[in-house]
Amino acid sequence: MMAPRNSILSGRLRSAVIIGGQGIRARKLRTFLSMISLFMGVLAVVTVQAGAEIAQRAMLSDVELQQGKDGTRVMYVPDTGASIIEDAMRGRTDAVASLGMNAIIGEPGVRPVNEGGMSFENAGRGPRGGDMWCDERGCYPMEQKGPEKPAGQAIEVRMQALTGDVRSFRPFRPVTGQWLDFGSAPSLAPRIVLNREAAKGFRMYQVPAEMSVQGATAHMTPQIVGVIDDGGYEPTAYIRIDELRSWLPSGTAQAADPYRGGGGLQLMMSPGTDDLEQTLKAKLAGTGLKAEQLQSNVINSRARMLEELAIMRWIFLGMAALVLLIGVAGILNVGLATVGERVEEFALRRAVGTSRMLLAGIVLSETLLTGLLTAGAAIGVGVVGLKVGSQIIGGKYPSLQGIEFPWQAGVAGVIAGLVAGILGGLIPAVRAARIPIATVMRA
Amino acid sequence: MTIPMSAAPIAAPPIQTPLIRLSGITKTLKGQDEPRTILDGVNLTVHSGQSIAILGRSGSGKSTLLSLIGLFDRADGGQYLLGERDITKLPERKAAALRSAEFGFVFQRFFLLKHLSAAQNVAMALVNGQGWLPRRKRKTQVMEALDQVGIAHLAKHKPPRLSGGEQQRVAIARALVRQPRVLLADEPTGALDTETGNLVVDVLLKATHRGCGLVLVTHDHDHAAKMGSVLSLHDGRLG
Repeated sequence: MMAPRNSILSGRLRSAVIIGGQGIRARKLRTFLSMISLFMGVLAVVTVQAGAEIAQRAMLSDVELQQGKDGTRVMYVPDTGASIIEDAMRGRTDAVASLGMNAIIGEPGVRPVNEGGMSFENAGRGPRGGDMWCDERGCYPMEQKGPEKPAGQAIEVRMQALTGDVRSFRPFRPVTGQWLDFGSAPSLAPRIVLNREAAKGFRMYQVPAEMSVQGATAHMTPQIVGVIDDGGYEPTAYIRIDELRSWLPSGTAQAADPYRGGGGLQLMMSPGTDDLEQTLKAKLAGTGLKAEQLQSNVINSRARMLEELAIMRWIFLGMAALVLLIGVAGILNVGLATVGERVEEFALRRAVGTSRMLLAGIVLSETLLTGLLTAGAAIGVGVVGLKVGSQIIGGKYPSLQGIEFPWQAGVAGVIAGLVAGILGGLIPAVRAARIPIATVMRA
Repeated sequence: MTIPMSAAPIAAPPIQTPLIRLSGITKTLKGQDEPRTILDGVNLTVHSGQSIAILGRSGSGKSTLLSLIGLFDRADGGQYLLGERDITKLPERKAAALRSAEFGFVFQRFFLLKHLSAAQNVAMALVNGQGWLPRRKRKTQVMEALDQVGIAHLAKHKPPRLSGGEQQRVAIARALVRQPRVLLADEPTGALDTETGNLVVDVLLKATHRGCGLVLVTHDHDHAAKMGSVLSLHDGRLG
């Protein structure tokens, strides 16, 4: 009676796996040597894939926070057009303008601990040379105005005054507290949200709640309402522009010290807001601004970064594949030698009814199991290595703290092991299948 | 002289289809030298429960004949019927299935795998991709086969720990485990002393009592004499 086809297939598969397993157990040392030759190749694939995934996550997770989502249109407007922009932005959710400047929070009349708004890790390090200020055209020495201020308990932050909720363009991650409430009435004590670096400054230094902005009519008393992660490394505070305007009337931002980051607005617009852009350009042209001062561009940082990462990944995977090929040659070598030694066994198996196809399957299952075992070992080493590595150097590189082994690297390792098993086992499998029973059993 | 007549008429024996019928089988080996005809029109019929010994000088083609019967190889000419089925030109895949289902093989050199126990060596004939038996059923069949040849107590022993006779009995158990219709033995006593050889031949003959056909290739005339028929292969012909 004929067995059902799926039962035959299942029988063949199980037979191949059982006999393959017996073969591996009978030749442990050989299997181990094959695994060693293959291990470096699979580990290389796992490492490249894990590294690429981790790098991609680290880079892409912050790129939108810092630069905005892909597809967002960005336009830079000189400060002279600020009032037009602010009026146009009022009540809109599809476009947000931000006015950038530096602010000093803390004791008045002192030199901030991180003068220039640098990160607190670097604050106070290195010689204090002549101060520089930079814009998109380059960096310039700052003019010294009067005697140098004494050091004191104050920190300098980059201030971003917003016309609306910028998170639809830059999806900041909340850390503690709340985000700015643009629906409520403006407060005379401006509410600010700090980024993580700025919050670090407040933790490190005892800073009085007094904030000065160049050009403001008086010092302000800010209320810190929350902390967010904006992916940036410089201390930054976000503020509602209308709350700032109570202290810094429109048109005075230009007077705000350009050395302190004053100097224009950044306008972020959703895709499909061409009408708004055209209207704004027309109005701004009316104030005397030239067309070349009002260029806009579309953000595609994420797509560009993905493309660059993909190229790098393929280059490194290509190198890993070369190492893997050396391992394949090792398996092939051991496999051919083993088939040569097992001629009688294979002939006997054929004599008792094993088909050529199954015989090839047995040899392939052995090399595939070897590849899988190697993949398991390489993935294990990768997981442990990543854990140890993140503990050792995680302190230096915060992005490496607490990272998990990416599953994609595990999948790549398993695929590499299987591919190596197939490539290394194919020729020995064909040889095993061609062993003539009659010649061997008569010998 | 009168010939005594029996009172009752003798009943005619039932017409039984032979297990194996070889007719005009030829086989020529094509080596580097001139082609050499090994089998030249061999005719052979094997019935159920029949035991046949094939004698002949070394190189006379006994093993070649056994290879053709066991579907290790194909004849160049002639016809091979297994029961009613013509299997002269069977494709390899089907030949493997028939080898598994219909034939049991015993070789002079035992061909046991050293890294497997006696039971695992016997089970090899069951784990060959021709259907699938659950582990428990497989174990039962293996133990029955080992029991048939009287070495069930050695099931867990590996071949290096067994004597020559025990190893050959493991090989016979492997040949019997699928309950084949034909048992093919190629000089199974060649590597054994006389006493052990006799024991092995007895075990083989026991299988014929259950209806299994036995073809024994041997040099030993004493062992051949124990078989139901004795044939001699000479100049490629069986007589």
